[in-house]
Order: sequence, then C-alpha cells, then structure tokens
Amino acid sequence: MTVASVVVVGGGVAGVSTVAELRKAGYAGELVLVSADAVPYDRPPLSKEYLAGGRDLESIALQPSQWYAEQEISLVGGAVAVAIRPDTGEVELDDGRLLAADKIVLATGGRAARPAVGAPSHVLRDVTDADRLRTSLVPGARLLIVGAGLIGAEVASTARGLGAEVVLVDPLDPPLAAAVGVEAARWLHGLHADHGVEAVTATVETLLETPTGVAAQLSGEPDSREFDAVLLAVGLVPETGLADAAGLETSRGVLVDAGQVASHPSVLAVGDCARLRDHHRAEHWEAAQLDGVRAAATILGTEPPPAAAPWWWSDRYGLHVEGVGEMRSPDAMHQNVVRGVLGEPPFSVFTLHGERVVGAVAVDDPNAVRAARRMIDRQVDVRASDLADTTQNLRKLL
Amino acid sequence: MTGNTGNGGNSTGIRVASVDDIPEGEGIAISSDVTGTEDDIAILRDDDGTCWALNDTCTHETASLAEGWVEEGDVECPLHSSRFNLKTGKVDGLPATRDTVPHRVEVRDGEVYLFPGERP
Ligand SMILES: Cc1cc2nc3c(=O)[nH]c(=O)nc-3n(C[C@H](O)[C@H](O)[C@H](O)COP(=O)(O)OP(=O)(O)OC[C@H]3O[C@@H](n4cnc5c(N)ncnc54)[C@H](O)[C@@H]3O)c2cc1C
Ligand code: FES
Repeated sequence: MTVASVVVVGGGVAGVSTVAELRKAGYAGELVLVSADAVPYDRPPLSKEYLAGGRDLESIALQPSQWYAEQEISLVGGAVAVAIRPDTGEVELDDGRLLAADKIVLATGGRAARPAVGAPSHVLRDVTDADRLRTSLVPGARLLIVGAGLIGAEVASTARGLGAEVVLVDPLDPPLAAAVGVEAARWLHGLHADHGVEAVTATVETLLETPTGVAAQLSGEPDSREFDAVLLAVGLVPETGLADAAGLETSRGVLVDAGQVASHPSVLAVGDCARLRDHHRAEHWEAAQLDGVRAAATILGTEPPPAAAPWWWSDRYGLHVEGVGEMRSPDAMHQNVVRGVLGEPPFSVFTLHGERVVGAVAVDDPNAVRAARRMIDRQVDVRASDLADTTQNLRKLL
Repeated sequence: MTGNTGNGGNSTGIRVASVDDIPEGEGIAISSDVTGTEDDIAILRDDDGTCWALNDTCTHETASLAEGWVEEGDVECPLHSSRFNLKTGKVDGLPATRDTVPHRVEVRDGEVYLFPGERP
C-alpha cells in the first residue's frame, strides 16, 4: 500500500528530522507535524547559551518558521495529540480535530524525571523550564543542583557564569564514568571545584520548603543546608502515554525495531520516546535526528543508512566535550589510550578492544572523535601506539 | 554580505597558501583582513586533493569551519557536525539550516589563489 498521509506527533529534533527527511526523499503525500510548541526549537541551548541569556527562542528554532510552508508540511503548532488510533488511521488532537494518518510517527520525547520532594524545585527540559530557572540564577543566589550528569554539569557552568553560588550533588564519584570512562570523568568532574562550584558526593535525603527557600539534608552531613533554588537533573522519563493508551508495547520507551516500527505496523517511534528492543536509549541529539532519517526510509520503503556509533557533545566552562561509541574501564579485553595529556586540552581518550576502537571521548579535540567514529563504523584495525602519538595524523589510520 | 574591497574582482586572485600547506581533509582560515570580506574564509582541501573555499563561520553558531573535518565533498563543523557542501555552501546536515557562501579558488603551480566574493 502506498502511504498517502503521515502524521508526526512531537516537534523536537526527531519529529522535525522525520518530516524533513520524508520531503527530501521525495514523499509527496499529506504531511502533518503536531507540535505542542508553536514553533519547534532545539533543546541543547537550554542549558547553555539560552539559559545564559545569550540567545532567544527564535535563534534556537530547529527550522525557520517559513520552512514548514515551503516544504508543504502542515505544522499544527501549540496542539497536543490526545489519542492515536492506528487501526483506523487517526490521530486525535486536544481541540477535537481528527487527522487521517496511514502512518503515525511518535516523536514525543520525554519529561524530566521529577522525584517526589517536599519542596518547590526546578527541572530543565523545555523553554518554560529554562525561563523559570534563569530567574533564579542571579549573582549570589544559592543553587543546589541534584545530579551531575551532562545537564547538571552544564547548568552548574552556566549558573557560575551568571554569578550564582552552586552546590552540585551526586552519589557517584565520579559521575559520568560510564559515558566518558573513569579517568576523563574524574578530570571533568574536578573542573567544577576549579570554577568555584562545591561538588559533593552524597545523596539528597530530604528537601524541605522554608520561609526563605529550601533546606536540603545531604547524606553524611550533620546539618541541613539552605538554598534559594533547587534543580533536579536526574534523568528523563520517556513520554509513552499515547502508545500505552493505544495498547502498543512499551518498556522504558516505545519499543521499536531497527526500522523504528513499533508493535503496530502503522506506528513508528523516534527519538527520546523510543527504545530499540534490547538496547539502551542514547538520549542524545544526533541519535534522535538519525531515528528520523531511518523512520522516513522505512515509511518510503527505501534502504535506511547503516547504523552508526552514537555521538554526542556537551559544553562546560568553555570546553567542548564530545564522545562516540562506548567507553569501557580497562580489563582483560579493553585498554584505554590517551592521546595528548589527560587534563591538558586538547586531548582525547580511546577505548580499544583488541585492535578495534569501540569508544572515544575528547576535550577540545573534535576531530579525534570524528576519526574515532569512522574507525568504529568502518571497523578499522589500529595500534594503541599510533593513537597515542600526537604527531600521527589520525585520518591516515583510516 | 560578502562584498569585495581592494582585491575583489581581481583577475589573478589572492595567493593565500601553498597546496602542500593544507593536508588533505583539513582546512586553514584566511583572515578577513586579507580577503576583504565580512567573514574570514576557510580554504578546505577535500580528500581527493581539490581545494574549495567557504565563509569560515558556521551558520549554526560560531565555529570555524577551517577546523572541521573535510571528506567527500562536505565539511563537517567541529562543534555540532553540521555538514556544508564544499562547492555550493549548501547545508547537507542539521543542526545548521542556513547555507553558507562559497568562493572561487584556483590552484596554479602548487599555489592556492582565492577570489573572494566570486562564485566557484
Ligand atoms: C537541557 C538539555 C540540553 C541538552 N544538551 C544536549 C547536548 O549538548 N548534546 C546532545 O547530544 N544532546 C543534548 N540534549 C539531548 C537532546 O536535546 C535530546 O536527545 C533531543 O531533544 C531528543 O529529541 P526528541 O525529538 O526525541 O524529543 P524532544 O526534544 O523532547 O521533543 C519532543 C516534543 O514533543 C512534544 N510532545 C510530546 N507529547 C506531545 C503530544 N501528545 N502532542 C504534541 N506534542 C507533543 C514535546 O512538547 C516536545 O516538544 C539535551 C537535552 C536537554 C533537555
Ligand atoms: S556551530 Fe556548526 S554545527 Fe553548531
């Protein structure tokens, strides 16, 4: 059956990439993007330049507003899909409208996890959150950040830039070891103290509202501490409500196959709301974008691009951090090779499994990660000594 | 706007480098003081050895494309990996959405000549 109508629910990078790729590949049928936001915008700046006040909403749009009309994409902005009915090919909106859809693509992203705490607290997932958080980031304000993952660390850096006093608490020491390897994680975490952030290894036992702010009891401390504001940066809950209600299989995400197809053949899911069966979700920008590319190929019955090692970036204290693939702790099978001097950017660390690169992380050395990515995807054999030798051009090893 | 000043429209172009100074797959930035254009210009050498020129500043944020990864007709931005076509300046990959400006380059006797503001 040829597909005559596609409705994409959710205007994050995954949804926008799906509609863009469909048109790029020549799909000429009905194409609707339902977006809770008036104009879809990009999320990475929300913890960086947007939060710092250096960029506005228009400058973080995923596409210029006229692009949707140019591409003949019906952007239904400010609307929420309340139900999908794959058997009859319908998507229902909050204003009662019914959209016909031969294929439904769920691109609903996720919500910031919000553990029940006894005090008002911030999370950071959308522009409303960012606008609200920014009002708390004034010089001298005491901010507690719970969770020192990528987003917690970025906000710590931005908040310092705005003059706030920051305490960053995480039970892991160091945080992010799984993402960047323990050596780089320790150094990256150490940057917080260098920039005047107090990084504490602890859990938050209680958060209580006080007349002047929030009292936080951290594990192992005799007394609670006073803060003006609290940010919970403790992870993402994938938005699977529409899929659950439609009886689709979900488990920490809408379960999909390698072509992004969910458990009903008319439904696909992409980005942070989806999870490839038996895999972890990447929860990074590019993974969401590539899901859209794959979904478009599946809908059009064309060959999707080959799977690529997951890639991400993050910025803190003016340093640009990138990672690709999977970093491992050294063991009988794996060794970690430092290129340059760990702690003196630019440098990078590679995880080698035998003679194959499986992961890399770089600080201010993005082309090391671009090389590593190609080594992983093309399954190139390399020697540890060549990776470590900074006079060796990594491209020559490909 | 990429207007030409002093050197613009120059029939022989501005000599900016020797080809051998630019490894295949890499680039160098030529300052706007030299090019007379608003932005610096990146001279980018593809992996087949050919040379191309684009405005240096990525249209997404502020990265220098001369520090990018050049391969198979595209340069990949060093910050968020947007790709731009070396010949046309067109965006070949998000997050950038605005095309950049290509400039003409010519290689004569192993020297790279740049024609700021002229289309390739
Ligand atoms: C603060 C922050 C900083 C980040 N920084 C980086 C970074 O530096 N590098 C990196 O690689 N990644 C980063 N990420 C991760 C990256 O932004 C996400 O992986 C990406 O946004 C996922 O895209 P998505 O389209 O799947 O979901 P989302 O971006 O969450 O988009 C989903 C959209 O769907 C809408 N929606 C949900 N339900 C409905 C409905 N029923 N009807 C209509 N609309 C609906 C939502 O409102 C939302 O707009 C960051 C994320 C955040 C929050
Ligand atoms: S600055 Fe070039 S892609 Fe973001």
